[in-house]
Amino acid sequence: MFKNHVTHNLSAYLHGELSADAAVTVQTHLSDCSSCRNAMEEVRFGEQLVSALQQVEAPESIWNEIHSASKMQDATKQRLHWPNRMIAAGIAVAFVLALGLFLHSHIPNVPRGDLASWEVASVRGTPRIGRLQLTGTGRLRPGDSLQTNANSEAEVRIADIGQLDLDPNSRIRLISSNSDLHRIALERGKMTARTWAPPRLFVVDTPSSTAVDLGCIYSCEVQRDGSTLLHVTLGLVALDFHGHETIVPAGAFCRTRPDGGVGTPYFDDSSELLQTALNYVDFGKDEVERGRQLDIVLREARPRDTLTLWYLTSRLREPLRAATVDRMAKLVPFPQTVTRSGVLTLDADMMDLWKAELERVW
Amino acid sequence: MQLCTVTSDFPIDDRTIEACQRGDSEGFRLLFEVYKDRVYSIALYYFNGDEASAHDITQQIFLKLLTHISQFESRSEFSTWLYRMVANACLDRKRALRRFLSFDGSRVDKIPETRKSIEDKVIQREREASIRSAISGLRPKLRMAILLKHFEELSYDEIAVVLGCSKGTVASRLNRGHQILAQKLAHLRGDGAGGGTLEE
Repeated sequence: MFKNHVTHNLSAYLHGELSADAAVTVQTHLSDCSSCRNAMEEVRFGEQLVSALQQVEAPESIWNEIHSASKMQDATKQRLHWPNRMIAAGIAVAFVLALGLFLHSHIPNVPRGDLASWEVASVRGTPRIGRLQLTGTGRLRPGDSLQTNANSEAEVRIADIGQLDLDPNSRIRLISSNSDLHRIALERGKMTARTWAPPRLFVVDTPSSTAVDLGCIYSCEVQRDGSTLLHVTLGLVALDFHGHETIVPAGAFCRTRPDGGVGTPYFDDSSELLQTALNYVDFGKDEVERGRQLDIVLREARPRDTLTLWYLTSRLREPLRAATVDRMAKLVPFPQTVTRSGVLTLDADMMDLWKAELERVW
Repeated sequence: MQLCTVTSDFPIDDRTIEACQRGDSEGFRLLFEVYKDRVYSIALYYFNGDEASAHDITQQIFLKLLTHISQFESRSEFSTWLYRMVANACLDRKRALRRFLSFDGSRVDKIPETRKSIEDKVIQREREASIRSAISGLRPKLRMAILLKHFEELSYDEIAVVLGCSKGTVASRLNRGHQILAQKLAHLRGDGAGGGTLEE
């Protein structure tokens, strides 16, 4: 009898999301169709159940933590240009205390006095520390490797400064761990780290770069060819390659390759076209094609993508550098004290000033 | 934990957003005050009352907001972005939580307190716990659509933008989600399970 039931429109009808005509159609149908009326009753009852949920007041402490963490982010950025390490460290410690208090509120404490070895827990399957199969918890000591297969995952306490998740098919090796530096090698696979320590205490070596933690959440993935993909969720990470440092901010990716060094950072919400083209600009060999791909990067760039363009500026030669600078200036005009010629010659002060301006949109 | 009124008022205007973009801390504080309970509540109910998760997500969202608000040109763009971040953060957290719980399974499962008598509170808590548990058992996409509709009163078009799907998909997810809840909680029928009845 009924060719067009209206069950797919019931929530929309209930929420007043249908056009007047469609609503009349549903209403008319419901008056004649017991099946749809029953369905309507279920949807209505489900909606009533949900409406019993009450909004809950967020704890005031969140504001204090955000306030402290934002100070830390500012301080960490300034540290890149700022020689006064004592002041920066003081601000960092303030942040660490605030964030540490929060994180420790739902993560159990690590026993002190055994920083040289790290607690490891199997999350799934049986990871291995060396040849030892891990079913519960164990300890990772300097020189030891922790390895997962396709069916296992592990979680590691980074001494008393953070936590690390090791994905399936991954391997890390603990190189050293003391109060000044905690260092591991990510030999393959993927790890995610959360730290609440002052910057530069946790370092991850990969086959193609070294990731230096500036606080506080990021993932690192090493692929079969030794290339690495870094993604920063919160805070900043410095990627070091033969002494050249690239700072990757929250929300950004950066690729590195054993034969090509550190690529250019890019935001995770940048267009796929930009990301694909940037990969060629970073690691492609054909100069003509690199120019074509750079055109795509420049065309696709939004103001926020000046992060990418700023790093490209010092890595490209003319005429590609000028094209990049001009596009950047269209997206975010030069500050008064910065000139086009100064940027083209990579004047350090001007580059820093312009970067400070660009960071407002990053 | 304190309850607060669910409101559809939207006191944040473009000037507040602009003030935040200029680095005005009072503007950001206002933004925080307006949205914090909504963000916290979505995360809290998404994670079946897990306060640590709700706390973590709320902190992450506002930190990101603080550092990236300069990108937004209009209020609508801002709110869409905010709730998209909340949805993504909940999904990310869900993936990560499985691992954290292996170290710390002592999750506190608290529920909102009311001013009712102790007996009423117990009954209220049991009902709400049932509803919350049923919601947390929904597939993440159904769950988030329901929470965005209830706590934010977003239109289907707005939810579609936040979740990156079509308006029809939103309608379908809400239909399905509400029907599943009704079936799972059929024992609450006629038991004052409706929104007003539960609270009054």
